[in-house]
Amino acid sequence: MPNDPWYSCLASCQTMVPCGQGMHTVRWEAGALVLLAHADAEAELVLAALGGEKSGCIELAETWHRHTDDLSVLAIGPRGAADEINVSWDDVKQAAAAGPRGGPARRGRMRLAGPPGSAGAAARQQAQQDMDDAERRRTDLLSLLALGYGFQVRLAGQVAAAHAVRPDERARPALTAAITGRLALVAEQWLGIDPGQVEVSLHAGPGWGTTELTGRGEARRLRVSLPAWWLARVWACGLPLIGGHLVVAVERAGWPDARVLGVRGPGAEPVPLDVHAREAAPGGRADAGDAPHWEM
Amino acid sequence: MNREGAETFLRLLAEAEIRGPMTSALRMPWSADVPAGSTGNLMVTAAEALIAVQALDRETAEQILADVDLAAVVRPGHPQQAPADPAGAPRPRPGQLRVTIPNRYGIAPVGGTTPAAPPGPGWAERFVPVGVSVPFGDDEFTGELHLLCYAHVASGAAFAMTWSIRHSAAPYATVRAHPRVLTWRFTVTDDRGQRYDLDASGTGDPASADLAWLRPDPPPDIGWLEFSAPGTSPVRVELAAAAGAEPEVSEARLSAGEQLLIMIAERLMALAANFPRDQRTRSRPGPASRPGPASRPALASPGTLEATAAGLGTIIAALEAAGVLSPLSPVPGWLATVCASLNISGHGITAPARCDLPEPWLNLLAFCQRRKPDTGPVHDGFAAMTGTLPELDGLRLVLLGLHTNGGVSSLHALARGLNADARAGPCGVETYFPLSVWIRDSGGRWHAVLPSSWHQAGPEYALQLWLVPPLPRSATWIEVLAAGRSAQVRARLTLRWGYSS
Repeated sequence: MPNDPWYSCLASCQTMVPCGQGMHTVRWEAGALVLLAHADAEAELVLAALGGEKSGCIELAETWHRHTDDLSVLAIGPRGAADEINVSWDDVKQAAAAGPRGGPARRGRMRLAGPPGSAGAAARQQAQQDMDDAERRRTDLLSLLALGYGFQVRLAGQVAAAHAVRPDERARPALTAAITGRLALVAEQWLGIDPGQVEVSLHAGPGWGTTELTGRGEARRLRVSLPAWWLARVWACGLPLIGGHLVVAVERAGWPDARVLGVRGPGAEPVPLDVHAREAAPGGRADAGDAPHWEM
Repeated sequence: MNREGAETFLRLLAEAEIRGPMTSALRMPWSADVPAGSTGNLMVTAAEALIAVQALDRETAEQILADVDLAAVVRPGHPQQAPADPAGAPRPRPGQLRVTIPNRYGIAPVGGTTPAAPPGPGWAERFVPVGVSVPFGDDEFTGELHLLCYAHVASGAAFAMTWSIRHSAAPYATVRAHPRVLTWRFTVTDDRGQRYDLDASGTGDPASADLAWLRPDPPPDIGWLEFSAPGTSPVRVELAAAAGAEPEVSEARLSAGEQLLIMIAERLMALAANFPRDQRTRSRPGPASRPGPASRPALASPGTLEATAAGLGTIIAALEAAGVLSPLSPVPGWLATVCASLNISGHGITAPARCDLPEPWLNLLAFCQRRKPDTGPVHDGFAAMTGTLPELDGLRLVLLGLHTNGGVSSLHALARGLNADARAGPCGVETYFPLSVWIRDSGGRWHAVLPSSWHQAGPEYALQLWLVPPLPRSATWIEVLAAGRSAQVRARLTLRWGYSS
């Protein structure tokens, strides 16, 4: 496994976020958020901790950091560049205004069936607290999604990298599902296989993993074993499929040039591929560098 | 048990949900028009199944479903994002969308109630079959109090009972609102002259209460009690001990997944038997529901059996993924046979149907197929009997008699170890009562026994169970077959019938 940071194949990206009465630029660069309009963000954070008012940018940075190992980011975020997610800052504003106590967000929502016995005051209080927490969390996630695709995949990479560095068996189901959901779409392009026929297991140990194609017809299965790092180093960097090769690892990270390991077909040994990144096509939905297109 | 496999299964189902064409049709269970069998519904069903077998904790399941919910609503084309109206008003945005909230399922961590310590050395519980009716009549009410069984347990002494009310001057709502409206008129005196009040409170509905407690708590060795009510002569209730046959206990080896599937199958069969096909399509309570102070609400019509059975294939796959159901288990095949026999389609079970169904299942399925929709209800009546069953899977049952009212037969029981915090599991299974219970009557017919209601009575729970089909009054004895995962119990009990005059 290379020692370079997982994001070495990613260019910086930036977007505008509401802050105060205007819009400020926020940039992702080398794995960190940079608040360009706030020269002394650290000091602002200290002031905010002492009860001072938080700016929109500062709140966003805090939200980002709260979720850098949140597996829900993988569950909710994009599965690929074609997986469009539409959240605007107006949506975030409405969500924040609606919760956590009352407002239109509550209307029409299914209420829980009460417990079989009568709920005590403590239980009701706890239930209310749980609801408030859930709504705050949801507003958090909406604001992160509102940053756009470039930030969404970078945050997903950050989350995957956090769990790859600190393996925890409790995270295995979420990581397995996260890789499956993304690899299934890649495999459909790669082999024309039904995404539902892709089975992923989490690879642990040395090496990049395995690929295997078995069965025929409905029983056909593409079985792939990949490490959690794949999500960060390969998928989040826009590298999963290049020149008909499924990229399984990054041998030498870099932007815009890198060397990756790709397999031509299931069961084949990976071969090194020198790849070069091209910015998103004009008119594409991503900002420059947000959804890079890699070529051999 | 493979908890990782269970969680992974649900998360992969979520991935399919988000990826697949169903994404645009996703409706979560709180949407009013959830199509049965939609993927969103299947996720909930699978989650309920995994929670029921304790392969997945509630919080994790809720988090996964909350994530799927949010993932769906932030993607264009989701039906919750309604199109703009002709006036160009903005369509609902994620900030206004419904979201998953914690405790949606509300299935609490499993754990039975803590049994109370017996009151003192030498004290023993006492259960006596009674089978006595106490008539009463005044300006307000005329009827009978039917005493099925006397039970003296750690939390007090009570009668399992039921009412027949022929005349009521008070509206039913009044009866419901005032727990003592019926019981205050009775005076109870023991063989030592001590007087007691009857207390049916705590049940929410005194008219359908199944236990009436004696206040204060009587001594453990009273020989009789005399009931007096206005307008009638006193009625003496002898409390002589009655020896019952010892239950037979045999070993069982069911996995948690098999147990759940068996409970689902029994529920399906009971619904089919209780509601003929033409009645199942209605969303109203079935014909057995007769409003009135002396009747109990009948099982609500479940709608089509297809809706109840939707997702069975997913449940089976989830249980296998969780390692609580062997791929070699016969139970999925049994369930397939049940569905085929009841003409249920769309269940998704891939296991081939099997012919080696348990005898009670075959008997009830035969009843379902023979039954004519216009079959009349069995006559009202009550039967005194008691039976204490050995503990099964942490749950101890004491049977306290049964009665039939409005075509519905109910078995009264006291339960200890009930997981009262559990909620309904998949397909409407009541997970608080994780036993399979059947009754074979003296005529050879099997009756499924399903939980219908409970209320707490100290460390015990007063439980009512439905018998499907109802028990005929011609039955002179019943054999109770109760099965848990590790053991099953057979107990033969003699019935002493009483009738409303």
